[in-house]
Amino acid sequence: MNDAGSKKTIRLETDRLARRLLIYESKAGKSSEPGKSPTLRVYEKLRQNLGAFAGIAGFKSLASRALALARSEDPGFSKARVAEDGTLQGLGEIEHQVDFDNAAVGEPSSEAGIILIARLLGLLHIFLGETLTARLLRVTWPGAALDDCNSGTGETREHTG
Amino acid sequence: MSTQGRVTINKLTTGVPGLDEIVGGGLPEFSFNIIAGAPGSGKTTLAHQFVFANATPERPAIYFTVLGESAIKMLRYQQQYTFFDPSRLPDAIRFINLSQIVLEKDLGAVLEEITREVEKANPAVVVVDSFRTMVRKPQSDMDLQSFIQRLALFLASWQATTFLIGEYAEDELRDNPIFTVADGLFWLHQIAERNSIVRKLQIIKLRGQESVPGLHTFRITNAGVQAFSRTFGLTARKRNPPGHRRLSFGVPELDKMLDGGVREGDSVLIAGSSGTGKSVLATQFIAEGLRQGEPGIVAVFEERPEAYAERATSLGLDLETPQKDGKLTILYLRPLDLSVDETMQSILDAVQKIGAKRLVIDSLAGFEMALSPGFRADFRESLYRMIFALTGIGVTILSTVEVDESFTEFPFSTYSISFLCDDILRLRYVSIDGQLRKVMVVIKMRGGNHAKDIREYEITSTGVVILGKRLTEYQALISGIPVRSDRPGPEESSQDT
Repeated sequence: MNDAGSKKTIRLETDRLARRLLIYESKAGKSSEPGKSPTLRVYEKLRQNLGAFAGIAGFKSLASRALALARSEDPGFSKARVAEDGTLQGLGEIEHQVDFDNAAVGEPSSEAGIILIARLLGLLHIFLGETLTARLLRVTWPGAALDDCNSGTGETREHTG
Repeated sequence: MSTQGRVTINKLTTGVPGLDEIVGGGLPEFSFNIIAGAPGSGKTTLAHQFVFANATPERPAIYFTVLGESAIKMLRYQQQYTFFDPSRLPDAIRFINLSQIVLEKDLGAVLEEITREVEKANPAVVVVDSFRTMVRKPQSDMDLQSFIQRLALFLASWQATTFLIGEYAEDELRDNPIFTVADGLFWLHQIAERNSIVRKLQIIKLRGQESVPGLHTFRITNAGVQAFSRTFGLTARKRNPPGHRRLSFGVPELDKMLDGGVREGDSVLIAGSSGTGKSVLATQFIAEGLRQGEPGIVAVFEERPEAYAERATSLGLDLETPQKDGKLTILYLRPLDLSVDETMQSILDAVQKIGAKRLVIDSLAGFEMALSPGFRADFRESLYRMIFALTGIGVTILSTVEVDESFTEFPFSTYSISFLCDDILRLRYVSIDGQLRKVMVVIKMRGGNHAKDIREYEITSTGVVILGKRLTEYQALISGIPVRSDRPGPEESSQDT
């Protein structure tokens, strides 16, 4: 596979993985944090776990880059910003668009959340590689079966039990 | 006094090839160590190798990163080394970043955080990288000393073996409490010599066990750090008592001159000018060993192994089959940027791999030229160490050396290495009856009764052939310009010590 083909495959994988994480959180978060969007829940878990080993500054710089990439694809992120502590702020209306209540039927109402999380996962893939990224995600979402999240071939399974 | 009842200090493998030997068998468990050196000297890589060699899910390693190199970039680069197994993260190896605490709080808070993480994970190994940046903020001496002592005490009590990594200069060794508290101090040097970079490692301090003193060469490859002990890893090997066996050259008359052959475990030097047949004799020596079932190594520097084997074939000696059978290795060593210790390590590895009994180094001049200029100053000393180490385990070494032919002198070697050799065989040209002929003489044979004769020889299609008895009808043969004497006929060969 050539370089362009490889990048395309990675992008498809990270998009798919982001979607699955958001669906997972939309289900898991209904009871635990009903007021928070799945995008923010996924983002926050990544911030905490990635920040633990990369440092808040390390996470913030990656998150800022992911946000910039997402902004170029969806202008809805124009007012969003990454704060000093790495938290995501200013999502505004776009936060309401990433409501995954429809995930049960597999049709999220917006792709915005997927774009942001996927770009963040894409950066991890670039800097840490496939294996380390997958292991980081497994630690962050121990309840989600992500064994095939780096295979590039299979479906990522999720369960909430 | 009996050693019964004394504490036994377990030794942990360093994960760095060659380093266990240098530190005296492994790193003392629960020791508190510093890895110091300039940027790019391999400190982080060395620490990673130790971590990957010792961490388990039950007793993991915690790698605290502090400012300095970004943790993400560090992992990105470290993944390129073959020892880095991503599947070990995070169960056995955990990375924790302390930058925020270091920036925003004081050393007390840093210690508190380290304590919290260590108590939570129960690690066998703790690394702080870089410790230097952690304590770089202005602190009073007492604060720093107190912090270091409390940290060392805590980590040892929690049965963790610790590495603190820091960019220190050598003049900081004095008056720094960290070096006083440390049990082990590893200093990595990176020195530019002409166009080469020489990496050297020194164990400045290691409590509780005997390390190999001095500066040891090391190299960083895609396998990580590899160290080359000044003793070539052979200190632990049992030394063989001097052998009584005589090893044949495969040249019967020469064996007679050597009182039956070269004594097993000797270091033999064949000295002579270009074209005198040094390599031919060396080839015959190795071929005779193979014929008698003794594996051999030939280290060549001036021609490729194929050419070396082809030349042997032209003398009726088969070096191809033993190579295929794993009984012979012809090493072609022209690395140019390698240190002398690395080159010698290649020879030692080959010797140990096939259990070689005979080693030919052809030639010392080629060997020296293959080294980068920065390492040549160490050549004689390293050669001495290698010969001592190999002959100590019963390997017989034959080295060739080219000497400038002089008709006023009779030098044995340009390297002043004759003291390294048990036996010296000198080949030289002489002008006789309008011909440039060749003669050989045994100059020295330690502990042996060798012939004093100067014998003429020729190189034929079957190798070196010694002709007739000693040349008694000439005087001043070793000058190269002999004069015919009036004495009649050759006398009996003499054997003497």
